[in-house]
Amino acid sequence: MSVTLESPALARAGDSGRSPLRLVRAEITKIRTTNTWWLFVIGIVLVTALAFLVNALGHHYNELQPPSGSVPADRQDEVNAAIAEAHTPAGLAKIAADMMTSGQFFGLLFAMLIGILVVTNEFFHQTATTTFMTNPHRTAVIMAKAVAGTLFGALFWLVSTVLDLAATPIYLSSQHVSVSLTQWTVVRSVLLNLLAFVVWAIFGLGIGTLLRSQIGSVITGMALYLVGFAAVLIVFNLIYAAYPHAWVHTAQVIAPAVASSVMITPGRLYPDAPPQWVGAAVLTGYAVVTGGIGIWLTRRRDIS
Amino acid sequence: MSDGQIVVSDLTKQYRKVRAVDHLSFTVEPGRVTGFLGPNGAGKTTTLRMVLNLVRPTGGTATIGGHRYADLHDPVRHVGAVLEASSAHKGRTGRNHLRIICQAAGIPKERADEVLDLVGLTPAAKRKFRGYSLGMRQRLGIAAALVGDPHVLILDEPANGLDPEGIRWMRDLLKTLAGQGRTILVSSHLLSEMELLADDIVIIAAGKLVRQGTVAQVVDSMAHTGRVRVRTPQPEELTKALATTENVVVTPNGEGALVVSGIDTATVGAAAFRAGVELHELVPERPDLEEVFLELTKGKAAIR
Repeated sequence: MSVTLESPALARAGDSGRSPLRLVRAEITKIRTTNTWWLFVIGIVLVTALAFLVNALGHHYNELQPPSGSVPADRQDEVNAAIAEAHTPAGLAKIAADMMTSGQFFGLLFAMLIGILVVTNEFFHQTATTTFMTNPHRTAVIMAKAVAGTLFGALFWLVSTVLDLAATPIYLSSQHVSVSLTQWTVVRSVLLNLLAFVVWAIFGLGIGTLLRSQIGSVITGMALYLVGFAAVLIVFNLIYAAYPHAWVHTAQVIAPAVASSVMITPGRLYPDAPPQWVGAAVLTGYAVVTGGIGIWLTRRRDIS
Repeated sequence: MSDGQIVVSDLTKQYRKVRAVDHLSFTVEPGRVTGFLGPNGAGKTTTLRMVLNLVRPTGGTATIGGHRYADLHDPVRHVGAVLEASSAHKGRTGRNHLRIICQAAGIPKERADEVLDLVGLTPAAKRKFRGYSLGMRQRLGIAAALVGDPHVLILDEPANGLDPEGIRWMRDLLKTLAGQGRTILVSSHLLSEMELLADDIVIIAAGKLVRQGTVAQVVDSMAHTGRVRVRTPQPEELTKALATTENVVVTPNGEGALVVSGIDTATVGAAAFRAGVELHELVPERPDLEEVFLELTKGKAAIR
C-alpha cells in the first residue's frame, strides 16, 4: 500500500510555516468556493438599480424639474427655493454625490452579512476545528477573515459604484444639468462610501464572533441596521421633545446606520447633523471595537 | 521521526459543574497505534481537543514532540487530526475543502489531489460535500489530516459511519502509517476493532486514567477476571473445595467439566491438590478486551 510518502506536491512545498498572506488567500478561497458571494453580487446589482431609480425620481420631482401646478400656491416659494438651491454648484454636487452612492443603504447590509458569514460559517458547518488546527494562532486567523471580508465588502462597493458611474451621467444629462463627477465633493463621497462598505464588513465580523450562531447573527445584524435606524430616530426625537437642544439631533450619529449616511452626504445630512468626518470616526470606532472584541473572544473560547 | 511522542501530563478541564478531565497523564509512543478508550462522557474528546489547542486546559499540559500544539512552527506538517465534529462547508467540493487547507499551510494545491487519491475519493473530488455519504465524509476527514504528511495522527472515532470494507481499509492504513514510524492515537468505543488495530491502549473513565499499557499487559492485568476451564472425574468434590474461596463462581460445563471464574489457574490447582481431586485439564481462558474494559470502567458513571 503506498501511503503519503513520495509526494511530488509536498516535495515542492519548501519551507512553509505560518504566513499571514497565506491565511488571507485561504480565507478568500473559502468565500470564492461557495455560492454566497455571487448571489450577494446579484443582490447588490438589484438594490443599486432600485435605489438609483428611487433617487432619480426623487431628485427629479423635488428639485430638478418639479412638475408645475402640482404644488399648492402657498408652498410655491419653498419649492422655488429648493429648485434654486439644487441648481447651484454645491447643490448639483450634492445631487451627483447622492446618485453616485445609490444603493448604499441596502448594499451595506450585504457587506455586513458577508462579514457575519466568514465567521459563522465556520461554526455552522463545523469547520472551525480544521481552521484553528491548521493555524492555532487565532488572532491571525480572525485578522485574515477581516481582510477577506473587507475585500469582498470592497468588491460590493465596486459593483455598486460602477453601475452608478454608468447611469449617473445619463441621468444628469437627461435633467439638463451639467456636473463634473470628478470634483472632490463627489469623489470624496464615493470614497467614504467605500469606507462604509469596509467598516460594515468588519462590523458584521464582530457580530459573528460575538454570537457564533449564524441565524442569530444575521437576525441581530439586520435588526441593528434596519430597526436600529428607525428606533434611534424615534428615541432621539423623544429626547429632543423633552430637551430641545441641537446636540440631541447631532448625537443621532451614534447609530451606526445614521453614521454611515452622515459620512457619505456632502454638507449636512439633516439640520444639526455633525460633519462627514464625525460619521467616519464613529463607524471606524465601531469596527475597531467589534473587531477587537471578536479577536479577544476567539482567543479565549474553547472550540468544540 | 523520533519527535512524535505525545505526552499528556496532569491535564485537567473543569467545566462549570463537571470535571471532564481530571489530572490525566499518559504517553503515546511513535511507531505504534494507541487506542484511546473510555465510556461515553469519559473525557476522550475533551482530552484530544486540549492536545490540539482547541480547548484550553484548566491545568496541566499536553505536548507533541516536546512542544505545545500552539507552539508548533508548522502544525499541518507535524500533526493531522480527524475529530468527531470535523466537517466541511456543505456547498463546497471536497477538493476545494482540501485546497483551502493546502493554501493556509503553504502546500501546493496539487497535494489535495494526492490525498484524495490516497483515500479513494478521486471520483467524488468535484462533488459538493452535502452529497457525501457518512463514509465519504470520514474519508475526506482523513484526507485532510494527511495533507501535510504528518508524523502524528490523532483520530476521534474514525470508524463511525464506515462500512466493513471501509473499516478494514482504515485499519490497514493506520497500521501502515504506524509501521512507517508515525504516532497514531485513535479514540474509539469499538473494542473488538481496537483489539485488532491497537498495539497500546489507554483507558480512561470519569476523566481519570484507569489503565495504560500494551493490549497484552492490560488484558493480563485483569487475568483474574478471566475464567478457568477445568475437567475432572470428581466435579462435585472440586466444586466443594472451591466454594470456600470468596468471589468464586463455578458453573458446570458438560461432562466432568467446570468453568471457574474469579480466580486464576494456580489457585484452582492448589485447591484441587489440597482436596485430593484429580485434574485432567486446567486451562486459563483469557478475558477479551471487552470484558477487561467493562470490568475496569464498571461503576464509573458515564453520564455526569
